[in-house]
Amino acid sequence: MSNSADKPTLAGQFVDLRPLTPDDAEMTFAWRQGDRAILLNQGAQTVEQQRRWIAGRPASEYNFIIETKQHRPIGMLSLSGIDMVNRVGEPGRFLIGDEAAAAGLPAAAEAMKLLYELAFDTLKLRRVWGVVASENRRMIKWQTFLGMTQEGRLREHLFINDRLQDAVVFGLLDGEYRRVTLPRLESLIAAARLPVAPSASSASPE
Amino acid sequence: MASQADVIEIIYRALRSLNEELEEDKRVALAPDTRLFGPDASLDSLSLVSVIVDVETAVADELGRAVSLTDDTAMTQEVSPFSNVTTLADYIVRQLGQG
Repeated sequence: MSNSADKPTLAGQFVDLRPLTPDDAEMTFAWRQGDRAILLNQGAQTVEQQRRWIAGRPASEYNFIIETKQHRPIGMLSLSGIDMVNRVGEPGRFLIGDEAAAAGLPAAAEAMKLLYELAFDTLKLRRVWGVVASENRRMIKWQTFLGMTQEGRLREHLFINDRLQDAVVFGLLDGEYRRVTLPRLESLIAAARLPVAPSASSASPE
Repeated sequence: MASQADVIEIIYRALRSLNEELEEDKRVALAPDTRLFGPDASLDSLSLVSVIVDVETAVADELGRAVSLTDDTAMTQEVSPFSNVTTLADYIVRQLGQG
């Protein structure tokens, strides 16, 4: 039995975060087999394992499916490791599984904004943190752009993509979120609202 | 003074770097009218940030000037700077020409 029933859906302008359920096992398992997931920790090996993993998430975690306003699932995102004594939490399991459906949308930006609002405004956490594989350059740029501080490097901490990799530790405090992260996320979301120049022709990738 | 061609080359380098991390069928075309962000665009926000970070860094390193592509000025343009490669290059050249 999943603990998702009592979890909220977080509504944005372009995407919503709705609770992950065991019924999402086949879709999320397929996403985890894609190239974009190659730099994440190894997950379930079968759909059934994925279903059991989802069903076994503790009530303290928030596990979401990112979906468009037309209810098309495009990714996943979680807030786990929530410690209400020290007021810390760990955003993670972030994956845009359907890149084609996310193209042109501020899906990642709005999903992170909704999750940070849950962390800092609703749960009143004062710090979030996480680790990124050192070869995951796009995610390292993303976290850095959003104002997270590189707090350390755990050498050869992860075995991903058939080799040992360092884990880069990122942290974000409540004040940094409000001063740096939130304005940048809102800028990315605003960028999707601006009128675009007319299109001319198309070309092929180099 | 940076030319549009100089800046377009910087943008192409950022797109090449992004393409190295994308599956072959999801790579972004290197062309002046390649749509970057918004309706019918190639990039999601995760990839757009990769391009923004690389372009801002290269402009600062190679042209000696800092530009912000996500400040209020960028987000209050009549047409999105991220419409395509040319509009982004034109926006950067304008910013470099001011101040």
